[in-house]
Amino acid sequence: MGADSGPGAPAAVPWRKVLYERQPFPDNYVDRCFLEELRRNIRVRQYCYWAVVRETGLIAQQVSCVAVFLTLWSYMEQGDLVPSAVLWVCLGCALLGYGLYEILGGSCVRERTRLADLQSSTIFLAFTFGFSPVLKTLTESVSTDTVHAMSAVMLLAHLVSFPYAQPSPPGSLSLNAALFGSVCLASRLPGALHTFTMLSCAVLVFALWPCLLHRMREKAEWSFPWAAVLVCLAGVRGLGSLWPEGALLLLLALLTLTLVCPLLLVHLQRHKDNIHGPWDEAEIREDLSRFLN
Amino acid sequence: MVLKIFFPQCCNTADSGLLVGHWIPGHNSAVVLAVIHYPFIPGQVKKYLSELQSQTQVDLTVLGSWSMPKEGQEGMDSFLKDLSTIFPQKCWLQLSREIGKRGFICQVVQNNGKLLQDQEQKNGDESSEGDKIILIHYDQRKVMLSQLHPVQDVGQKSDIEPSELRLVFQTVAQSQPLFFLDKYDDGPLKLTHWQSEGREASIIAELLKQASVPVCIFLTWLLSLWHWFCMVLKMLFISSKLSTCVQSGYRTVHFKTVFSPKKAATHMEFMRKANIFVSFLLDIALGLLLISWLYRENRISKLADTLVPVADRVAKELQELLEWLMGAPAGLKMNRALDQVLGRFFLYHIHLWSSYIHLMSPFIERILWYVGLSACLGLTFALSVLSDIVALLTFHIYCFYVYGARLYCLKIYGLSSLWRLFRGKKWNVLRQRVDSCSYDLDQLFIGTLLFTILLFLLPTTALYYLVFTLLRLVVVLFQGVIHLSVDFINSFALFAIGQRICRPYRLAEGVKFKVLCQEPGTPLHLMMEINPLKCSSVLRCYRTPTYSCYPKDSWAALCKKLFVGELIYPWKQKTDKTD
Repeated sequence: MGADSGPGAPAAVPWRKVLYERQPFPDNYVDRCFLEELRRNIRVRQYCYWAVVRETGLIAQQVSCVAVFLTLWSYMEQGDLVPSAVLWVCLGCALLGYGLYEILGGSCVRERTRLADLQSSTIFLAFTFGFSPVLKTLTESVSTDTVHAMSAVMLLAHLVSFPYAQPSPPGSLSLNAALFGSVCLASRLPGALHTFTMLSCAVLVFALWPCLLHRMREKAEWSFPWAAVLVCLAGVRGLGSLWPEGALLLLLALLTLTLVCPLLLVHLQRHKDNIHGPWDEAEIREDLSRFLN
Repeated sequence: MVLKIFFPQCCNTADSGLLVGHWIPGHNSAVVLAVIHYPFIPGQVKKYLSELQSQTQVDLTVLGSWSMPKEGQEGMDSFLKDLSTIFPQKCWLQLSREIGKRGFICQVVQNNGKLLQDQEQKNGDESSEGDKIILIHYDQRKVMLSQLHPVQDVGQKSDIEPSELRLVFQTVAQSQPLFFLDKYDDGPLKLTHWQSEGREASIIAELLKQASVPVCIFLTWLLSLWHWFCMVLKMLFISSKLSTCVQSGYRTVHFKTVFSPKKAATHMEFMRKANIFVSFLLDIALGLLLISWLYRENRISKLADTLVPVADRVAKELQELLEWLMGAPAGLKMNRALDQVLGRFFLYHIHLWSSYIHLMSPFIERILWYVGLSACLGLTFALSVLSDIVALLTFHIYCFYVYGARLYCLKIYGLSSLWRLFRGKKWNVLRQRVDSCSYDLDQLFIGTLLFTILLFLLPTTALYYLVFTLLRLVVVLFQGVIHLSVDFINSFALFAIGQRICRPYRLAEGVKFKVLCQEPGTPLHLMMEINPLKCSSVLRCYRTPTYSCYPKDSWAALCKKLFVGELIYPWKQKTDKTD
């Protein structure tokens, strides 16, 4: 549609964009002010490269968490780690993490009482301990390849469906997939105590650690990159002790994820072409928080 | 306009006289029922006809005159013509026969004196409708006894106008009191109708009819006692499960219908009574045949001797099946611990069952002997007892099926609910749909653990469920076959089929016409013959309604129930209320 096309001669009356009046213009008349209100890219954010790199750290550290977990499992399966020792370490870490959580969230109003927390942990411990003999025999008749494939799929699903934007209450599907995968792996271990230990580790790594990380990001912004880097290093190092090529691959993946992908994102921003106009949905601009109190 | 006159065959050779019959309202036709001979007094004729009208509810009138030429009766024709003044009619029919000719001559005089003739118009004008007369001959006795299908009762109010044929049949059937007086009786009036050809009577039939009423009253009293006894028994839950009790209750209802002292009012009631009675007799006869075969050559004790080893064999086969399941059946990988638990549980049940059978074995022969006697009540009873015995002998299969199904159903239900938890969703009972839900950490954790456990234990439970369901289905199929045959014996309309074969004119579907005589100068003569009902229609129409065993669910619903683990009762029996 170009500008003024059509055989209509502009009359003395200016053209108005209304439909309820008869105007002396033909039906296919295109006015000069056509598409005046078109706006392009009015809400495009300009990303800063290093800020994006910082945010990507979350994804990288989640991948490394999975690597750490797999390392632990592999060691326990080979019999290099004694389950009771690992159990004590887990307990220590949990208490440490809980303390840190409390310190960092000092000024916040608590959602759950300490009693509720104690209750949850008791239920969890009792349940897992009670069911670990059953869990141990679950995959006895399933072949090893199937078990490994199932766990891999489940952990991948965990990574894909993890709520990176709001990780504090862990999303249902991601947590469940991670726990399912860890149960599959844990049932391959030689003893019931091994199974119990593995599950405790899984809960620690997949359920409790994201909450602590989120709290750290909120309260002590400077600590987050250090924590992410620490986890990534632990993952690479752990994998390296088992399978050096794998460690190399993981390192490459992490570097790509953290350094190359943000570059791509920032680079491709200039191809953005969003158009906005009077046809968009109405957005409420004023501040409505005054209605909340 | 075509005038149809229905003329009975028995009056073809009657002496001259008056035609008595009925004009069909709404259709241009008349039915001749009888001929009143000379000498008669017109006043008495009128009185007789009005008496009969009140008795039969049929509008009987004098239709016209009939003249059969004989020696010594000349001058009859003029006398007959004058009669039309005595009996005022809208239309006066004058039928006459000539010696040597097959056809009748028919003249119709209308009220205004106009003469309708059967000859074609002299002027040869094709366009004007010549008034035609058609004489339709019918066999009076057959039409009187026949019932036109589909059955519409006389007193019934129906929306459909009865057709002309139906009206003709109804008229002849309702005019039975007309046929009591005959030309051989000593009375003021001498009539000719189908009875004139010869009256048939049978002393035995009359005696039976007289004796049946007190017998019926006595039997009804007995039945009421029995019914009260059955009511007491119905309190027991088990009586509705045993097919013998169901069958006996059903037969009681039948007898009530048959032995009620009230005479059957409509044709359908009469047929139903007759069918039930005849099928009951057949049942008893077959049952007695069975007894005579069973009790000869000591077959009962032979049967009892083979019963216990058969039960033992079944138990042993089940045991071997369970041992196979507890191993690695068909190469499937089962969860060993659960396998062992379930297998041992079922093995213990079988052990209990076999010891019970061995405990009962000394009494089996005696029990069978008395139970076999119940076959004298009918073959259906014997089959019901057989079905119950089979149900009792395979009771352990039924128990296993229930256990397996319940376990499987629980597992499927739990799995579906936990799968929703896995995805972070929940079932909204209010809106009957799946909604998202934010669960607590410990809920998520326990939910996932249970989901994993249930999922991995599914193959084991599913296999046990499959095996026991198949066994149960085999038993159910066998029982179903027995029930179907019982049902068939109960509902087969033997009396109706017998009537259709021996006396086909009683069940009429329609009529067919044959041309008898088509001479110029005489009206068209047609012979009306009754078309009997087809055998398949007879069976369909007169089938005694029973508690027919029909599958409760369609195939798709049954498969779905099997998949989910709901208990199935494939054969549903209608109660009497829905009959």
